[in-house]
Amino acid sequence: MSLNVHIGAEGINVAALMDEIRQTVARKMADGVYQDVRVAAAERTNLSQIADQDQFFALYLASLREMAAIDINDFPITERRRFLAPLLIRLKTLIWNLLKFYTYRLWSQQNQVNALFLALIEELDGKYRRRIEALEARIRELESRPREQGS
Amino acid sequence: MTAPRSVVFVAPRLGGEGAAGGAETLIRALAEKAAEAGLDTALYTTCAVDHFTWANERPPGERRIGRLPIHFFPVDSGRNIPRFLQAQERLFRGCRSPDDEATWLKESVCSRALLEALRQRSWDRIVVGPYLFGLTVAIGREFPDRTILLPCLHDEPFARLSVFRSVFQSVAGLIFNSAPEQRLAARLYGIPLGKGRVVGMGLDPFDADPAAFAVRHGITQPYLIYSGRREPMKGTPLLLDYLAAFRSRTGRDIRLVLTGSGDPAIPPSLQGYVLDLGFVSEAVKREAMAGAAVFCHPSLYESFSIVLMESWMAGTPALVRASCEVLREHCEHSGGGLWFRHYPDFEECLLRLLDSAELRRAMGLTGREYVRREYAWPVIVGRLMEALAAFGP
Repeated sequence: MSLNVHIGAEGINVAALMDEIRQTVARKMADGVYQDVRVAAAERTNLSQIADQDQFFALYLASLREMAAIDINDFPITERRRFLAPLLIRLKTLIWNLLKFYTYRLWSQQNQVNALFLALIEELDGKYRRRIEALEARIRELESRPREQGS
Repeated sequence: MTAPRSVVFVAPRLGGEGAAGGAETLIRALAEKAAEAGLDTALYTTCAVDHFTWANERPPGERRIGRLPIHFFPVDSGRNIPRFLQAQERLFRGCRSPDDEATWLKESVCSRALLEALRQRSWDRIVVGPYLFGLTVAIGREFPDRTILLPCLHDEPFARLSVFRSVFQSVAGLIFNSAPEQRLAARLYGIPLGKGRVVGMGLDPFDADPAAFAVRHGITQPYLIYSGRREPMKGTPLLLDYLAAFRSRTGRDIRLVLTGSGDPAIPPSLQGYVLDLGFVSEAVKREAMAGAAVFCHPSLYESFSIVLMESWMAGTPALVRASCEVLREHCEHSGGGLWFRHYPDFEECLLRLLDSAELRRAMGLTGREYVRREYAWPVIVGRLMEALAAFGP
């Protein structure tokens, strides 16, 4: 017995809708809409699935470049308790400045490591991409040659 | 080949109760339907409840539920669980070695008492699944001419172990939950299409009040829902990451409702925006699904997906991973869902769905119609009976 599945339910053409959505995504991607550290961070568990999608992988690496350098001054120091809030903020800022003084070297080294790894990934990506392109060009060239008699 | 008069279904745990998985639920449901159809039927299972400890929590013996006699057998004691987990971890990472395969098989869940019971009575057919258990392998090896494997196969590293190739090839036949699962078995093990049948699982129609859940929980914002095991294999960390990015990038106040087992690590940016209900009754789950804007299924490893069918029956459209062929094909065939490859797709699909109540309603309805047409129980029972008659001595 075969499965007679009715494809393409009436009124909804999801294939056409998905085509339109993908065109919109491709356009937005080209416009840099998704070049965003939040997008790169959101893909942390999806890397094996996006690695074979050239356009998005390039965008992912670009987003990663923005993340690689950690800025230890990029967050505001706040206080939720209203009572003595200004004083508490000054105290926290003082503690943070002290911590920063002693941990700056570590952060700096971590930034260097991040940059090195990212450069390595980009280099490998470029290297294998070029190699694949060369192989594809070679295959095209071989396939376009007229076949020898008797081969 | 003749139609069987007796059939025993075998599952490692009793489905339809507590934390049992979809495969166990499916096997129990098919056994109940076979019994209702008049076949001499039984369900053999183990006394285990928890799929981490496999402790024998239920008493051994027979219990009858409706027309179906259920026989409980103890799981073999003396398993070296640390060795099993070490081997499993290496195999999951794709490091296949004959030693690890042998260790995994030796220490996997099995029941000598259950095997002995199968030897004592000559059932015309033995339907056993899912594939990833020592018990299933042992049955396939000992009774290949009468065994119909119901594998619930996923494209995962374990599926590439050599032991499964021989079991899939040696059993009398296979029952698949979906056409993509059947194609996967053909790719991995060279199983010809004629050796398998696609059956699936039936769903009884239900109606659920879409407003009841939100009112009860004071939810005034639109929400996504995911139901099922919350673990990396099912993609729940991805869903949480995507939702956090979506909320932050679009400024939309959309919530997430989770039901099922497991302990999802809610990121700090989503604290207060995720309602994690854990286990809920079927009625509550259906109301939660009916009230959701979208049912999101982020899993890569599905052979059927009962919850996707339930969400459609509740009239809710779906958003699924494009890489999961089973989920994507259900959406393509039904028109009831969209699919995403990466975050940009997710964001765009979700915006489309959130911005159009009409689109959501239409997709929910067409999904519901698909389930009622393709997965009504009479249709499934017909496919099951045909499969039972087709494979055997």
